[in-house]
Amino acid sequence: MMDNILDGKLIPEKKTGLWYDLQRNSFAYRSIIPYIIFMLVLVIYPVAQNVLVSFQADNTWSIQNYRDVLSDPLFWVITVNTIIWTVSCVVLDLLVGLGLALLLNQNTKGKMIFRTIILVIPWATPDIVAAVAWKWMYNDMYGVLNDILMKLGIIREYLPWLAVPSLAKAAVIIANLWKGFAISTMFYLAALQTVPKELYEAASMDGANVWQRFTKVTIPVIRPYILTTVMLTIIWTINYFPLIFAMTSGGPSNATDTFVTHSYRMAFRFLDFSHSTVVSNINFIIVLTVAVIYVLSLIRKEG
Amino acid sequence: MKKYLTYVLAIVFLIFLTSTITFAAGEKLTVWVGGHVVEQEETWKEIIADFTKQTGIDVEYQLIGFEVYYDKLVTAYTAGQGPDVCFADLGGWVPTFAAQGWLEPMDNMLATTKTTEQIWPNLWPTVTYQGKRYGLPWYTDCRLLLYNTKMFTDAGLDPNKPPITWDDLLATAQKLTDESKKIYGYGVTGAKSETATLAYMIYLYGAGGEFLTGDYGKAAFNTPEGLAALKFYAEFFTKYKVSPPGTPSYTEDDYRTMMSQNQVAMAIGGPWSFPLIEMANPKIKGNYTVATHPYKTTPASVLGGWASVIAKTSTQKEAAWKFVDFITSYKVWMKWIEKHGGPMPTRQDVCKDAPAFKTDPKWQIIFETFPHAKVRPPIPQYPQISDQIQTMIQDVLTGKATPEDAIKKAEEEVNKLLAK
Repeated sequence: MMDNILDGKLIPEKKTGLWYDLQRNSFAYRSIIPYIIFMLVLVIYPVAQNVLVSFQADNTWSIQNYRDVLSDPLFWVITVNTIIWTVSCVVLDLLVGLGLALLLNQNTKGKMIFRTIILVIPWATPDIVAAVAWKWMYNDMYGVLNDILMKLGIIREYLPWLAVPSLAKAAVIIANLWKGFAISTMFYLAALQTVPKELYEAASMDGANVWQRFTKVTIPVIRPYILTTVMLTIIWTINYFPLIFAMTSGGPSNATDTFVTHSYRMAFRFLDFSHSTVVSNINFIIVLTVAVIYVLSLIRKEG
Repeated sequence: MKKYLTYVLAIVFLIFLTSTITFAAGEKLTVWVGGHVVEQEETWKEIIADFTKQTGIDVEYQLIGFEVYYDKLVTAYTAGQGPDVCFADLGGWVPTFAAQGWLEPMDNMLATTKTTEQIWPNLWPTVTYQGKRYGLPWYTDCRLLLYNTKMFTDAGLDPNKPPITWDDLLATAQKLTDESKKIYGYGVTGAKSETATLAYMIYLYGAGGEFLTGDYGKAAFNTPEGLAALKFYAEFFTKYKVSPPGTPSYTEDDYRTMMSQNQVAMAIGGPWSFPLIEMANPKIKGNYTVATHPYKTTPASVLGGWASVIAKTSTQKEAAWKFVDFITSYKVWMKWIEKHGGPMPTRQDVCKDAPAFKTDPKWQIIFETFPHAKVRPPIPQYPQISDQIQTMIQDVLTGKATPEDAIKKAEEEVNKLLAK
């Protein structure tokens, strides 16, 4: 009897608040429990652990590890490398991705075949396979790239692509462009299909040329998509590890060392976890900042 | 209430599900094998079956490829889930792991076996940390000059007279090099890899230099000998151009492949190179051999290999030791060599008795060179020190620094690491 009174409708229900929400959407909340557990175990725990380890030195809490890392000249070399790598890759992905998307958006015969070949192959190639293939193409004794450039008369002798610091930087960026442009192109292609055809027609009527139509019609419509794609490419590129590691391991003379390859080497080659976590935390903060900007822009878009 | 209990149980179940592997393996002796020997799957199966038959101990073993082995091992040990027995590279893994408290000291166990007397004596420092022994070396090797005899003949050189001194080496390399045909005399290991450090050590010791001070307290390579070694090594590439243009991106493995295609005539290699060079090009068989690496004042080499170690967390240390002792026994080793003809056993008696070695002159050269082989400093900082040496070499090869500046910087960095 008591149960009935407590459980039943005699008590006025609160219509708002967390508890009410939990009860009302109880099935939804129960459904996401496994996901939350996995996130806690596989993401939140390692991140928290990373932060804790980075602030421990000589069995006590201190910022010594951060001081060590920030005073190491190599860290700044790597920071510059990471900036060069990320900015060049993102800009190239944007230009090539958008350019190709515009081409692939044309109504031509065999459109689907082109799209499949151009977009799927680089994207679906496993990272290591791509890295090894590029390494061979760049080879200074029998690399196909050198052969082609020679035959085209662009270079006079074979270039040791991966052995000269500046060339190696360019080499990994080019390889990453090949590997990464496809996903950008796919996003832009999808974006281009949302541009209403009538807008182009109206613009042509008003006498706008191709370039004006592109800058005044296409770009404004797909701007939100560009922003989203650029944000995502920034995050992916900063964190992209296998290609660089398999092609150069960060060499020659640290020319291609980035935050991720550096912190990997410190942790797994030198077992120096305290300094490795500092570098990966700095990387994490940068990525988090980009991610927060991205999420905020998404929220704003949704209104 | 009952409903929530169900959830709790479900969660607990989930957590246990992810760790079942450990529970299932609890009863058996777990063994991880790494290094080049993992390719011999069948032989391992037989050896382990024999062991189980003799002792009644069940073994669960994994053969793990070199590329992932170190990371896998470090991850497992960090999590306190390392195998009972595993293979550790003699290039500094044992002291590194021992310093982390991952390994069981083996002095008491080693005292119980006669095998200990047969192990090549210059191997012991590789498994010693702070006066205690943490491993039993299983197979070993030393670095030598690997060269293509056909390319020697083609260039009008006598393949039975390999270069002996540094000057011979340079002269020979220059005679062999033909840039127009993309043929190079000597491959300088320039990539950021452990093999670059090993190459420098061969030149350093070959010039009569020392790597670190006797107590491993300070760098000892910034001397006239050390500088001469660095300069001479780099000049093959920077001055004489007898090493390919891509030198700063190549390791020993790359040169071995080029050698199999008759493009690089000489490079550093060792007994492990034999099956690999023949795999790269079967036609090379009979057209390559080894010699003690050319030196300035004293013959020199660096040794490598693998040792079996036992985890501190192991609950079956007695069984683990039985396994280690078993695989290092005379009988098992003789059988292995009969089947595969290599790698080089850590047991001197097997090196002497095995028929496969007696008939092959390459092995006789290896055994002659082996006593000259030095160990890498058995200290936990070694991987970082090696990284500094690699940077030094790359900076000189890419022209980023003069040899004088690069060696000074490396000395400072190494001293900083050793002072920690």
